[in-house]
Amino acid sequence: MRVLVVEDDALLGDAIQAGLKQAGYAVDWMKDGVSADHALGTEAYAAVVLDLGLPRLSGLEVLQRLRSRNSSMPVLILTARDTVNDRIKGLDAGADDYLLKPFDMGELAARLRALIRRASGKADLLLQVAGVKLDPAAHRVSCREQPVELSPKEFAVLHALLLSAGKVLSRAQLEEQLYAWGEEVESNAVEVHIHHLRRKLFPELIETIRGVGYLIAADKAD
Amino acid sequence: MQGHSLKRRLLALALTTVVVVWVGASTFVYFDAREEFDEVLDAHLAQDAALLSAQAAHELDELETDHAPLLHKYARRVAFQIWEGGKILRMHSANTTQRHLADIENGFSDSIIEGHRWRVFSAWDETGQFLIHVAERADVREELARDIAGNLLEPLLFSLPLLALLLWIAVARGLRPLDELAAELERRDPETLTPLDAGAAPREVLPLIERLNRLFTRIDSTFQRERRFTADAAHELRTPVAGIKAQAQVARSASGAAERNHALDNAILGCDRAAHLIEQLLTLARVDALDVGVAQSCRLRDIAAGEIAVIAPVALDKGVHIELPEGNEVTVRGNPELLRILARNLIDNAVRHTPAGTTVRVVVMQQEGLASLSVCDDGSGISEQEMSRVSERFYRPADTQASGSGLGLSIVRRIAEVHGAAVHFSRADNARGLCVAVTFRP
Repeated sequence: MRVLVVEDDALLGDAIQAGLKQAGYAVDWMKDGVSADHALGTEAYAAVVLDLGLPRLSGLEVLQRLRSRNSSMPVLILTARDTVNDRIKGLDAGADDYLLKPFDMGELAARLRALIRRASGKADLLLQVAGVKLDPAAHRVSCREQPVELSPKEFAVLHALLLSAGKVLSRAQLEEQLYAWGEEVESNAVEVHIHHLRRKLFPELIETIRGVGYLIAADKAD
Repeated sequence: MQGHSLKRRLLALALTTVVVVWVGASTFVYFDAREEFDEVLDAHLAQDAALLSAQAAHELDELETDHAPLLHKYARRVAFQIWEGGKILRMHSANTTQRHLADIENGFSDSIIEGHRWRVFSAWDETGQFLIHVAERADVREELARDIAGNLLEPLLFSLPLLALLLWIAVARGLRPLDELAAELERRDPETLTPLDAGAAPREVLPLIERLNRLFTRIDSTFQRERRFTADAAHELRTPVAGIKAQAQVARSASGAAERNHALDNAILGCDRAAHLIEQLLTLARVDALDVGVAQSCRLRDIAAGEIAVIAPVALDKGVHIELPEGNEVTVRGNPELLRILARNLIDNAVRHTPAGTTVRVVVMQQEGLASLSVCDDGSGISEQEMSRVSERFYRPADTQASGSGLGLSIVRRIAEVHGAAVHFSRADNARGLCVAVTFRP
């Protein structure tokens, strides 16, 4: 899962980036409103963590611009302003959730998981397809009740495919979900992760649609 | 109501004016009447004397008595004497003595006889045989004049209370706009700072309302600034605390020593920054409450040198050199403690925003009678648009890598303000960094 963090404070931004990486996310970090707006216009993120008091373009404006592009990307606002009015303004501008500074890193990660799950239209905490269970909070995967050890990147690919079960994800879309901006992407990285997943789970789980991408069929879900 | 009453004062002034004018008019009438009476009655005296002299020549011998009876109530107050050859009193009114009514023998004179003042006209008859004195008591004239003036004053005494009542009503009506303004202010609670309606106010009250409205506006903006500052201060403190907490949590769940140490170092750095921010907030609060107090003569170069000595170790750690070119001492009047804080913040700000390996120049000089302290850095500078905003509280330019509180230049501006000094931002000579100059008025 690739998320965007927009925070102008160097220490806080650094901590959020590190903390979300620990939680298994690929994290892009922008320090001002204009760069954030630009990133949101060009990249697809699973969610955005947005500070409101930003230089050059306020967080609220970034959010309004995002919503005016008809994007339903989940947005979690991070702010030090806690009057009811501030909260109402934030939520009305199109925020999905609201977290007050100082916050708990665990809570931030959990709220992001909830936002991403809701955005994918799944109500269950566990993602299940054809005997494969993925627990996003605990970072655990099992296949036919047997625990399976996956690398963070393999986990992220499986997570993305399960969230979009029944839909084809292109290699580019998967790469976008896997790597933060500036991270080195090996040319066949996605193929390698898919290959490992098929080996560790079972080969038929992930179908390859030639020239288009990969798919976990939803009708296999129980 | 406290203090003196405007209504009572107006009433007193109006009544006093009426009384003074009325009494003045009566006095004038009194003196004018006296003058007129003098002329008319003198003429009568002269006429009487002429009549007497005409008759004296022919009829005096036929008279049996040597004194004429008193025929009128005022007759006691008129008198005459006819002296033959000026020596023998041939005839006189009943109320005269045997002595001459006047010392002179021709014309008008004033005499005092038996304690009364008399106006006397004396003349010889045509034949030169008889000397005639015709006299009239002078107090008759005064009485008449006093009566006329008194008749004028009398209605004033009666009408004064009525006049006072009418004036009181008029004054109260005239001052109603003031009462309304007072009532409007009375009704307001102290939080209401909306301007008063000046629409219906009379011209005399308008300046008062305008001043009040200006005051309301100023208090309102001060209130709002205070509230914004409190909110901003809370926001500014929450962010570093959030950073410290998040870094600590990252450290706790770090998988490797390098990651943990990085997070812990950052947490400690976060504490330093929070401490710096708190320090600056306290300084600003203190500076906000202060004024210059008793201005002393302050040596600007000494102060700058002292603060450079404090900051130099930190600057050297960062690889920044601070220079203070030689020059004459410059003295300004002010509060030395505040000026030290000003210099420290200017220099500290420059050191924070200039990259390693560069120089911060501190210049103290006196030019065209103006003392100034300017600090220039070799940083990336700021845009014109940002120059107008850098001294706003908590404002930090975009893309700033520095760890300031956003309060340094606010503190500088505030101290400059209380010293009546101007703060000016410009590009440094090398067209890159920022120059901040504080210019003191002589």
